[in-house]
Amino acid sequence: MATRNGTRASRQAFGILGRLHRFAFLFLVMGATALMILSRTDNVIVDRVSVIVIDVFAPIMNILSRPAATVKEGVETARELVRLRQENIRLSRENERLLSWQESARQLAAQNEVLQSLLAYEPPPGARHVTARVVGDSGGVFVKSVLVNAGTSSGISKGQAAVTGSGLVGRVTQAGHRSARILLIIDINSRVPVLIESSRERAILTGDNSRHPKLSFLPGNAAIHQGDRIVTSGHGGVFPPGLSVGRVAIDESGTFRVEPFAGLDQLEYVRLVDYPRVETLPGPGKTRRASTVPAVP
Amino acid sequence: MSPTLSQQLDALARNLIPAALGIVLVLLSTIPYSLPAFGPVAPNLVLMAVFYWAVFRSDTLSPITVFLIGLLQDILTGAPPGLNAAILVLVRIFAVSQNRVFRGKSFMVLWFGFVIVGLSSAFAAWLISAVYHMALLDPSPALFQAAMTVALFPFLVWLFSWTHQKLMPQG
Repeated sequence: MATRNGTRASRQAFGILGRLHRFAFLFLVMGATALMILSRTDNVIVDRVSVIVIDVFAPIMNILSRPAATVKEGVETARELVRLRQENIRLSRENERLLSWQESARQLAAQNEVLQSLLAYEPPPGARHVTARVVGDSGGVFVKSVLVNAGTSSGISKGQAAVTGSGLVGRVTQAGHRSARILLIIDINSRVPVLIESSRERAILTGDNSRHPKLSFLPGNAAIHQGDRIVTSGHGGVFPPGLSVGRVAIDESGTFRVEPFAGLDQLEYVRLVDYPRVETLPGPGKTRRASTVPAVP
Repeated sequence: MSPTLSQQLDALARNLIPAALGIVLVLLSTIPYSLPAFGPVAPNLVLMAVFYWAVFRSDTLSPITVFLIGLLQDILTGAPPGLNAAILVLVRIFAVSQNRVFRGKSFMVLWFGFVIVGLSSAFAAWLISAVYHMALLDPSPALFQAAMTVALFPFLVWLFSWTHQKLMPQG
């Protein structure tokens, strides 16, 4: 009798547990949806928790990513050995070309200095650089971002530009204590104010998850050609002006796109540019003080 | 005879294997391989693990654990937080409800089941991401990832079943 009661009780308990289980699924899926909605609205708590999680796992990822990097270096060394001769010829040619550029750069620098002193020109504040190693890749299907092993403790903060030796990579979107996430310029959420270097026309570099981001908001009659260099404009005060971004490439549909200089598929190290932000809009108090109109007595 | 404390701890440790493996696979899939042959899209190792353990040892991988593993994957890869968490929970529901179909059958049946899981989760990820970003996204990276994940499934299953037999003998 007692055992029969026991089995009935346990069966009931299982029934309730089963139902709770089903609710648990529902609850979890609803929780996931709620989290997505919260993060979409840039919820501070969601952001802070993710930063903490990334901070905790970044050191482990740092260690795990080393063997992969070593393997990659090995593969690259083998490849380089194969093309050594060709590469050498190419480099010595390039060196010749660069030496003549160096000469003209020196002349221009000297000239620039003289002209600046004539105009009493105040140069923009210099930028500080922090180099960080890429420890995590989004492996991303719909997200193009990387994690690096440096954070606020090394002076990194949200909004800073990330570059390689060849060009702009992206900007910091999350900064933890010792890790940070960089949103690449090809990500669908990336917008960078840029200039066409030769014509000085402005545009916005708009990522769309493809390898070549689009140039939007170009003036209708913009003088733009395949191969034109694109640099950051510095508008908005987030990025320093003049960072190389890429070259204009026109796709089959006639859309202006940019082929980034930086190899975004194979990032190993990036430099984060700590650029003292320029206040583009002075506060109302300042405007009044700066006003040249004399007060009416 | 009730088990001693060390036996209990041992059993606990063995039952934590699937969860620990899940976390390790999340970390492994975020490593920047950047090998040209590998491409920018990496296979979804976590999806394979959750499917395998949900079919064969769902008792060792609770819905909450699956949710948290998915959330970790989202946070580390920069995906909308909750995306993989939701998908993995749904995959677990499917795998547990259909586990009789897969258990004790040939590997081909399991693989076929995983093709369905791989394709539907790719579709779900694409749909959720498109709604999240309010943009029509190109679905081809997701399809490419699903194909790669399905292709690598036998190797991972070999690894999982080895772990299962050697380290978790009681299940």
